[in-house]
Amino acid sequence: MTSDLDVLCGFIREKLGHQGELDPTADLLRLEILDSFNIVEMAMFIQQTFGIELQGEDITRDNFARLADMVALIERRRADG
Amino acid sequence: MVLEKLTGPIKEFGLFAGLYYGLDRALMLARSPFRLYFYELMAQPIGRTDRVPAGLKKGLEVRQIARGDVELGSMPVTEDVLAWRFKQRTVCLGAFQKGRFVAYMWLCFGPYEEDEVRCRFVPIPEEESVWDFDFYVFPADRFGLGFASLWDAANEFLRNRGVRFSFSRVSRFNLASRRTHQHFGWKRLGRAFFLKAKQFQLMVATISPYVHIAMNNSSRPTFQLRA
Repeated sequence: MTSDLDVLCGFIREKLGHQGELDPTADLLRLEILDSFNIVEMAMFIQQTFGIELQGEDITRDNFARLADMVALIERRRADG
Repeated sequence: MVLEKLTGPIKEFGLFAGLYYGLDRALMLARSPFRLYFYELMAQPIGRTDRVPAGLKKGLEVRQIARGDVELGSMPVTEDVLAWRFKQRTVCLGAFQKGRFVAYMWLCFGPYEEDEVRCRFVPIPEEESVWDFDFYVFPADRFGLGFASLWDAANEFLRNRGVRFSFSRVSRFNLASRRTHQHFGWKRLGRAFFLKAKQFQLMVATISPYVHIAMNNSSRPTFQLRA
């Protein structure tokens, strides 16, 4: 079964074209794998793929800098129902 | 460590720009009155579609900031520079997240008088062009939606006024700004190099007027820019 993390990694590789390593705890903003623009694409992908609703205030560095942060956000929103 | 400091800018910016950057840092460290500037002059088309979907924009508002508004006081810009900007045909747009001021940008309709070096930029045709400058996102809100939402709002504001292209100058050393403009499909129109010390200013550019020497504050080159 594909994990949430695998799905997010797949998006980064396929849509953003990153071919290198993807450490769930690495700061993707600092590594310049993500930036202010593709964070929006990432948020839209998460909403559509995981069927959760994100608010504008969810789109922060704390929630999107690391893959582990994104997985945690998805889990929180799922728990919120 | 020292070698890294010397080679770092070359790795980051390339050989020529890295050496240019290093020379400017050296002038600054030596407390020389001379400073160097390296601009890329660019044009980008006004976007027709929003980058941020409406659902994510809840709680985000973009509105015009006028002379005397309190938000001006939180901008990292001196009062003299603000006064200089308001003397021109400028509009300032601010983005607010649940009422909190998170980002702003300035637009100038007609010729723009640069405030970092002495220079005049004239985007043409005037009725279809605007000059954008000082796009700023407050540090706590970097990587939030303020940035993209502000551009969406600016594009709508400009589309409604018949503007087709936004022109700007980007420091060669501001990599974040360069990346942003690349996302918008920028077209580089030319490069301009400035050496400035008090009233003296030497400008060399890859486009007209190519070279300009100023010996006093009233002398400045003019760039006519067409997308």
